[in-house]
Amino acid sequence: MIFKYLLKSIIRNRSLWGWGVVFMFFWLLLGVFVFSTSVPKQAVAALSYASSYYGTITLFSFSTIAISISYTLYYGSSALAYCFRYTKLTPSGYFLSLLGAASVMATIMSAIMLSATYALFSWKFGVNLYPYQPLASLALSAISGAFMMVLAMALVLVVINYAGVKNITFVGFIPLVMSYIFGFGQLYTTIPEYIEYASPFTAISSLLYASYGGFAIPKVFINPSAGTLNPSILLLSLIAWLLVLAVLDTQLLRRIRPRAIEEARQV
Amino acid sequence: MVKCMLEANQLRVVYGSNIVLKDVNLVVNGEKVVLVGPNGSGKSTLFRAILGLAPVASGSIKVFDKSLSNMKNVIEVSTNIAEVYRIANLKVADIVNIYCELKGIGNAQSFQMMKEFELEDTLGRKLYELSTGQQKMVCNILAMNQKAKLLLLDEPFDNVDQSRRRRFIELLKQSNAELLMSTHEFELLRLLPDWKLCFMLEGKLWGKFEVSQLERLYISRGRADNAMAVMETSMGVFSVTLDKGDVLVKTATNLSSLLEAVAE
Repeated sequence: MIFKYLLKSIIRNRSLWGWGVVFMFFWLLLGVFVFSTSVPKQAVAALSYASSYYGTITLFSFSTIAISISYTLYYGSSALAYCFRYTKLTPSGYFLSLLGAASVMATIMSAIMLSATYALFSWKFGVNLYPYQPLASLALSAISGAFMMVLAMALVLVVINYAGVKNITFVGFIPLVMSYIFGFGQLYTTIPEYIEYASPFTAISSLLYASYGGFAIPKVFINPSAGTLNPSILLLSLIAWLLVLAVLDTQLLRRIRPRAIEEARQV
Repeated sequence: MVKCMLEANQLRVVYGSNIVLKDVNLVVNGEKVVLVGPNGSGKSTLFRAILGLAPVASGSIKVFDKSLSNMKNVIEVSTNIAEVYRIANLKVADIVNIYCELKGIGNAQSFQMMKEFELEDTLGRKLYELSTGQQKMVCNILAMNQKAKLLLLDEPFDNVDQSRRRRFIELLKQSNAELLMSTHEFELLRLLPDWKLCFMLEGKLWGKFEVSQLERLYISRGRADNAMAVMETSMGVFSVTLDKGDVLVKTATNLSSLLEAVAE
């Protein structure tokens, strides 16, 4: 019922395009022109390098969707409380509409990152680095966008319903901070295996890496010899997070407590 | 068969240590009621409580005989409170479309009203980009849908120009919906002679009186024997009386200036 309007709202969000796409191009350009000097001039090494960039940068890109969702919920808490009582809108209807909008937006952003990664890295290394399974990348992106949405909704609704909204800015940025911690963590350092499997953030970047390059997923992106991760377990982990948070979200949404936006003032 | 459109019983709303509504009782059933009171008297909080937007500390609210806590998807209630229209960051035209869909009505009437109130140029802008008066009128129009049986209009004339005020009052008079409206402007009451009237001050509600009695309503200091209502306020105790008293209600521009005049 409300899906097309939420999608329109999210697609027209300039901040999302600025931070989620344009700023990520900055990272991609650094990857192409600055950090690529130590990459061996071999097609396999170049493809692995491009895949790791696509996985990590797209994860960062998705985390900006979470910030947008956070603020949409925060500013709309009174509207939602009213709509659930006095319009046909139901919590599950709103949840599914927002989930759909976030998934579509994530797929669009991923398609842009995929095209840019392919074009820039192929040009840089002088080989055709066409993605191994581009459709799988986009399908994974839709799931990842849905995960970012359910995570953001859970965090914000816990704050809105049970705590003051003074910390809304901090809470809204938690998915982004976690994405950077796990994204860079997997890129450069050895994270304990159980954390890599349990973390939905490493699951997203790892699965996107595998869908681009078609390689086994290394525990550390820059050190393929450090061991590999099982993609099925990573996918299950991501879906489990998605489902658990979705159940939590619909419960929290039913109890949404309207908050005055002035309450979030810091000074 | 619905027994009562709106019923608030011993309603208390508290923000921190501030008691904003003090055991308010109100019934709206088969009538149009206007709440009159100065800024800060609790009028908007009463509306927000009915809409489920304010924390009810004690007491109860029933809309169409249903308790507020059990209220789901009751499309016959509408309001002009702007914050309920912030569901997405979209232009006014989209907001009109969304809320028409969510109310299960066509959008033609709303767009026609936008045209009649010369608000077509607002359709391509976002609510926060409008002037306060334009925003108020857009929200008034969003509230006025053909399925509404109970309209909750909070200060619908604030910052609205005279021409639009007149036209909107005519619309309210023609509406078949039951109505609870707040205002702090006494002059408007003369245009609504068949409405009921309640006074609101310091979180307490007194009434209902007849707006048609406005020519005969007086306010006096102290407790009068023939008082229709006794108002206990921080400025003292006042009585509402018929036909004789200290100050004729209709001579005042608002309730607080009236009480100040009586208290002097």
